[in-house]
Amino acid sequence: MKTVFIDCSPKKRLSASGFIMGLTGLFVFGKKKKEKLRTPADHERIMSELADADNVVFSMPLYVDGVPSHLLPFLKKTEMFCLDKNKDLNVYVIANNGFIEGKQNEPLMRIMENFCDRSGIKWCGGLGIGGGVMMNVMRILLIVFLGIALLRTLLSGVSEGILFPAWPWIIYGKQILEVLALGCGIIVFDIWLAICINSKKEYGKHYTRIMLPSFIFILCADIFFTIISVFQGGIFRGWFSRKKPT
Amino acid sequence: MRVLIHDRDITISDPEKEKYDRVIYADGRYAPCQGCFKCWTKTPATCVLKDSLQEMCRIIGLADELVIVTENWYGGYSPAVKNILDRSIGISTPMSTYRGRQMHHTLRYGGCSTVRIYVTGDVSDKEKETWKLLVERNALNWGASGHEVIFSDLPDDMEGTDL
Repeated sequence: MKTVFIDCSPKKRLSASGFIMGLTGLFVFGKKKKEKLRTPADHERIMSELADADNVVFSMPLYVDGVPSHLLPFLKKTEMFCLDKNKDLNVYVIANNGFIEGKQNEPLMRIMENFCDRSGIKWCGGLGIGGGVMMNVMRILLIVFLGIALLRTLLSGVSEGILFPAWPWIIYGKQILEVLALGCGIIVFDIWLAICINSKKEYGKHYTRIMLPSFIFILCADIFFTIISVFQGGIFRGWFSRKKPT
Repeated sequence: MRVLIHDRDITISDPEKEKYDRVIYADGRYAPCQGCFKCWTKTPATCVLKDSLQEMCRIIGLADELVIVTENWYGGYSPAVKNILDRSIGISTPMSTYRGRQMHHTLRYGGCSTVRIYVTGDVSDKEKETWKLLVERNALNWGASGHEVIFSDLPDDMEGTDL
């Protein structure tokens, strides 16, 4: 059994879609091929991988309530290819949006289902995630926290003469648990999706989210964007102003 | 301001053009969104990609009435039209709020009054249902008080067609 995973995020690196797709891939058995779809130059390479694939997993961000525009020409090529070759293919989708509600991915899921109908391939369902970007930020933070734990261990060794103090690692363990708690819905639904891929079963449509009350998520998102806007300078360049076309 | 976005490779008649303050032909000769959010965080309401869509969010944001003519692609916009919409998230700000009991971004220009979408080409019943949901969601995101989706094979010459 061969499964092709396609990260459809236009970001070059550190995409939330790629991260969540990778998480799913951990639990999928058989031959796996991970691909990145950013430009038309990627099309032929991915199409050749699809030729002998049993399953394909599209992982993508939600853009303006639908699939990102750069993915559409690839879907059209895939439709032509599948109709021409009478290809059997199971299609699974992971959609991630920046809002907290996973349900906001519903139009994207329907578009992908319509793509399968037109291509004569099997729509096996998808997982819609709300606030998945937070998992992405948290995994980067976990690497930073790991560095802090190592630094604390080193400093403790120098100042107190203890070779391996427990406390920095207890703190780090708690931080890992917090991330797992926030992402437990995503992880559980991800594993469930992988089980369905392994058995080539229909997954249906499921929606989950980061496990935070929405008002706290909104507060975190606002703080995040404010900090980024201060560093990138946007806050000083008419952050909220009604700019007219020049 | 009335804005028309269309993906039809035709010449629109002068009387038709006069109905609109801006007519935008989605010819696809521009780059897709890179998902960098710099139109929120670095250069507000300006895309960092230097092409014809760099300030598109300002035009769409200032529209009181937005009319889109698009070919059907699986129950959604054609790539050329979708690209314009993807590159126009600067109509909103990075700050969040609740609309329709769900999280959305606050609008830089306030909401427009109506969004009207003309869908051309072959559209299945299932795709029609997708379109209705999609336009409803778009209208909510764009703060539009009214929305309408029309399935129509428009004539090649738009003259006389009431858009």
